[in-house]
Amino acid sequence: MSLKISHLTVYENNNSINDQESPLISNFSITVNKGDILTLMGPSGSGKSTLLSVIAGFINPDFSYTGEIYLAEKPLNGIKPENRKIGILFQDDLLFPHLSIIENLMVALPNAIKGEQRRETALKALQHVNLQQLADNSPLQVSGGQKARVGVLRLLLAEPNAVLLDEPFSKLDSSLRSEFREWVYSVLKERELPTILVTHDSEDSPSCATTLHWPWGQKELTNA
Amino acid sequence: MHKSSSLSSITFNLLVILAILVCFIPLIPALLGIFSSAFAYLPALGLTQFSLLGFKQLLQWPGLIDSILLTLLITFASTFLAAILSFAIIQSMWQSKSWKWIESLLAPILALPHVTFAIGFVFLFSPSGLLSRFMAMLSNDSVNSGWSLIHDQYGLGLIAVLTLKEIPFILLMSLALLKQLNLKQTFYSAYSLGYSTRETWQKLIFPQWLVKIRFSLFAVAAYSLAVVDIALIIGPTKPYPLAVLVWQWFNHADINHYTTASAGALVLMLLAVISLAIVKLFEWVVIVKWRTWLSSGRYSFALPGTFSVAICYLLSLLIIPILLLWSVAFRWPFPALLPIEWTFNYWLDELSYVTEYINNSVFIALISASIALLFAIIIHEFNMRRSRAGNSIYIPELIIAIPMLAPQISLLFGLQITSLLMPQTNYLLWVVWAHILFTFPYIYLALNGAYKSYDKRLDNVALSLGIQPLKVWWKIKRPQLMPALLLAWAVGMSVSLAQYLPTLMLSAGRIATVTTEAVALASGQQRRLSAIYALLQTLLPFIFFLFAVTLSRYYTSRNNQQITSRTS
Repeated sequence: MSLKISHLTVYENNNSINDQESPLISNFSITVNKGDILTLMGPSGSGKSTLLSVIAGFINPDFSYTGEIYLAEKPLNGIKPENRKIGILFQDDLLFPHLSIIENLMVALPNAIKGEQRRETALKALQHVNLQQLADNSPLQVSGGQKARVGVLRLLLAEPNAVLLDEPFSKLDSSLRSEFREWVYSVLKERELPTILVTHDSEDSPSCATTLHWPWGQKELTNA
Repeated sequence: MHKSSSLSSITFNLLVILAILVCFIPLIPALLGIFSSAFAYLPALGLTQFSLLGFKQLLQWPGLIDSILLTLLITFASTFLAAILSFAIIQSMWQSKSWKWIESLLAPILALPHVTFAIGFVFLFSPSGLLSRFMAMLSNDSVNSGWSLIHDQYGLGLIAVLTLKEIPFILLMSLALLKQLNLKQTFYSAYSLGYSTRETWQKLIFPQWLVKIRFSLFAVAAYSLAVVDIALIIGPTKPYPLAVLVWQWFNHADINHYTTASAGALVLMLLAVISLAIVKLFEWVVIVKWRTWLSSGRYSFALPGTFSVAICYLLSLLIIPILLLWSVAFRWPFPALLPIEWTFNYWLDELSYVTEYINNSVFIALISASIALLFAIIIHEFNMRRSRAGNSIYIPELIIAIPMLAPQISLLFGLQITSLLMPQTNYLLWVVWAHILFTFPYIYLALNGAYKSYDKRLDNVALSLGIQPLKVWWKIKRPQLMPALLLAWAVGMSVSLAQYLPTLMLSAGRIATVTTEAVALASGQQRRLSAIYALLQTLLPFIFFLFAVTLSRYYTSRNNQQITSRTS
């Protein structure tokens, strides 16, 4: 299973003067194989998050694009975001505030798991990371590091086929940061998920990963 | 310098006391009055012994239980429908192409008074109404079917009017709170977990929305339970809803009915408490007790959002043209779709009478809305200073909202009992005061958003520059709040202009306004006059809204102009 981007060009729509001449990302092609982590490095405004939105399928009137995206050889263009099986992790944990920690996990479980089994499965996942004592707490009551872990668990329980990481470490304490980062990379490797990480911090890049520095779009163009 | 600041703080404290005296203290004798008169303690009528006479009379009233059940049916059906259909509309229309449209039409539709809406609804759905005429035309039958939603046995017409009129209100309240919910992020994370848009709305947003919309649902339920004016126009008559029964006993020529009315007013009050508790209980069951559905996975069902918004908006927008048509119809036999002879005579004939009613309406509204606005500002400032000083003694919103949530007829009953104890000569004063009491909470709540989003640090900066507190308010805060103040004032005007019971009860029927006339005429047979008064009743608040919006635009643009001219 791999994530493939082919000749992707992204235009900003609000920039009326020269959006056709200078696209945000131009003719970008890359393949991320299963278990690989691709790091895209760049300053803010370089279109990192926009690229992830395009891959995830989030419709946004601010940009448009040409090119193709494939997941496991199947084209994603035109497929609704909820049917793409792509998990995404943001800077903020985005746990649902009206649900307890365990319910946040239960929400993500496939529909095939029913009734009491939903709770049991979610609890098992919590036990794996030693957070079972937080099961019935509200997200508002637990620490930032714990919420970040729950966010990752939730993403995995939804059984994605690829993962996008949108600077998920940038809001964490530096003391927690490296430990959490290594843990995330290890679980993603274990699941053999193709992953794209965008960040502006070179420390976030895992040691064994391909790293592209901004402007990565143009670089691909010259290489091709 | 020190002297003037202490003087202004004394003035402020005096105004706080005055606001409390006018807007909150009367609630105490009002509540006491309901209880004492319910137990037949009415010194003004020569009854000085507590007894259960009123309750005995009430229980002997044939059809009391039916009336109570009907009242509860109307309350819960309209509240439930308004809530669900509003959510359906948001779910299917949010950020769609027509959403801008829906949002911009919300204000004019809300500005349509309940009474006007009900009268227009009668003209549409009565046996000889426009709908019957259409059906007769389609079936080529000149006999009307007799099918009617007006005064029907189960209150279906009343439920429909209440539901349709409350949907725009709930939509408006939802707009503000959906902004707090961080919808874009919620959708992004829900999509990445495999939730469709509809599943996200129903499984993830609805539970958060329901908790936050609670107060608005309280207001809707309380209003539906105790409504008298539109129940008289369109509500069931066999039996009447309880609030209408109380109103009829109150007006009865036989003074013995007064004790029945008193007991009924107390029962209505208890029903209001129970109804709000049931709304809260419903929320608790759905969100807390049976919450497994929240995390059971990706399921959702279709809701008639597009249909609801189409019906609600179409009917609301049809009301004015229908009323205009009737007001100039001279001969309009069934089943013609348009009048066959036209006349402006009804308008011309009415002009001489109408001036007095308009004067009364506007005079009362101007004074009461302006005073209520002043009090609302004072209480907001007071509460804000208290919370800043870490002081826990402030005026909670629940007390402020009592006149919105308690049945109006019950509160007025208590107030009227109190007013009987005093040597009353000036009915106008009593009426204005009652209008202040009932407009105050609306104005206060309308100012909530502006006060919450005001950056308090600006005050501190100004104070630290050595500017007097009063001057800081006038020069710094007021200009920024101005659009919100104007709009809140217009809301207060429209609330005052729409008051029916307070005007009648506290003037003992001596002061007539456009609204009291509109309701009186609506129950009669004179459709043309009824249409004219319904239109006038809409026109008055509309003028003040227009005035407020224009002035607030002017303020906003002037502020901007000054800034740009200074910086350039």
